Amino acid sequence: MAEKPEKLVVDVQVPVDYTYNYRIGPYLERYIKGLGEKKILGVTCPECSKVTVPPRKICGACNRVLDEWVEVGPAGTVENYTVGHVKINKGLVEKLDSPQLLAMIKLDGATVPLLAEVKSIEPTELKKGLRVKAVFKDPPEDSLSDLSHFEAEG
Amino acid sequence: MLRKVAIVGQAQMNAADSGMSRERMLFELCKGFYDSMGITRHDIDTFVLCSNDFASGHTISNVFEDCPVGAYMKDETKVEADGVMAATYAMIRIMSGLYDTALVVGNSQGGSVMRPYLVMEYTLNQTYDRQLGLMNELSAAALQARAYMDEFGLTEEQLNKIAARNLRNAALNPFAFNGRADVTPEDVAASDLLYEPLRQLHCYPFTDGACVLLLASEEKAKELTDRPVWIKGVGDSLDTYYPERNAVRSKSVKLAGQRAYKMADVGDPANRIDVAEVSAKFAHQEPIICEGLGLFPEGSGGEVADRGLADLDGAMPICPSGGALGAYAFNAGGLVRLAECHRQLAGDAGDTQVVDARTALAHGQDGFCMQHNAVMIVSVEEG
Repeated sequence: MAEKPEKLVVDVQVPVDYTYNYRIGPYLERYIKGLGEKKILGVTCPECSKVTVPPRKICGACNRVLDEWVEVGPAGTVENYTVGHVKINKGLVEKLDSPQLLAMIKLDGATVPLLAEVKSIEPTELKKGLRVKAVFKDPPEDSLSDLSHFEAEG
Repeated sequence: MLRKVAIVGQAQMNAADSGMSRERMLFELCKGFYDSMGITRHDIDTFVLCSNDFASGHTISNVFEDCPVGAYMKDETKVEADGVMAATYAMIRIMSGLYDTALVVGNSQGGSVMRPYLVMEYTLNQTYDRQLGLMNELSAAALQARAYMDEFGLTEEQLNKIAARNLRNAALNPFAFNGRADVTPEDVAASDLLYEPLRQLHCYPFTDGACVLLLASEEKAKELTDRPVWIKGVGDSLDTYYPERNAVRSKSVKLAGQRAYKMADVGDPANRIDVAEVSAKFAHQEPIICEGLGLFPEGSGGEVADRGLADLDGAMPICPSGGALGAYAFNAGGLVRLAECHRQLAGDAGDTQVVDARTALAHGQDGFCMQHNAVMIVSVEEG
């Protein structure tokens, strides 16, 4: 390798600002509409019986079309969790003022866990096995965030 | 096996900030490599470049790499994944009989140009996870870490031991930049908490880096070096999207390993492999990968850490180089693991040399929580 490079004089910044117009497709659309009615919808694989939430058209493992819709939750069990003390903003790590509680929640009737925020409990209360229930936005805004967060059941 | 293929040489560079353009970084590395091998670019039949368009901010990001690496008017192709996958592709090109030498070059500048966490964010489902903003490389890794700890009883103290061992190894490796000579598990425990249980020192550092590997057919390898390192087996496997799979018992790590062992005729990896370099981007991934590869029994991560079984002088040295915690440039990461295996088997590993290392394993990964895994078995035994 060559000697240590000289100090740079000019730092060229190249921002790239593009908007991609993705279609969310009929599966996520139906899911979002369900959230507006306070229902969480998933799809069942006819081959492996896995219930996937949020729903999507294809079971990757079985290479099958998923077209059997099923309502899951709105309560579930924390399967896995993390307490975030930072957030990532455009690739940069930034400290949070108050911790963010994230959980992988196995909704009643589902196989694939859903990653969601848990509120109204202390970080130390977030444990595997904790029963939680969904809190929906009211009135709904026709967006994924209509499933606002989860809170402890009971 | 069709034609025998050997790794005949390697060069690498890693830094928090190289202070160089990508083109200059590649030119310095490759030109230096040619000179050290006593060859020129005309000795290379085909080039396999490994980079990422999003990371470099260029579409077809290899077009600006061709001339710096010496590929002007040459046969050149690109792999946009981990370097072990690129090396596998290069091996296959030589095995086909079309080429006798292949230069594999992986690079990215995650330290100075584009943060790797953002690159990883753009691998997420754009209509769901990227809209919600809850999943990122750190939160996903933290969930994977917690799942392993819950399942197998690995403690935070043991997790800290894994990180400390890698950081101490990295301090002995001149090609790593994030090493810490006397770091203790307590120092790891004192580093910033990111997403529990992961702390700053459990995580790979943002890295500018590049790695070059020269592969050659049997005849050519013997012309170029008296210490060829033979590729004995390769395996690759791709799993589903992150939350839909078991990230603690990684099926794709296991299958990638099994495929490589079958090709290399390795029946009992724990006995046959002398040293392994795995791409554990976070400390907890090391036991998950090693157990999937059959190097240690399932769920033994805590015991391995306590008994020092993965130490330089342990029963199965893992990442004597310091692994991904010492340096991890996107795309070059797995290639560096392979280059480190070459250093070990060629007897060039200096202070990190494993005594009597004859057969080594390199692992590379791509995607969230090891979605895509590739394994290469290399050996000094021509066989």
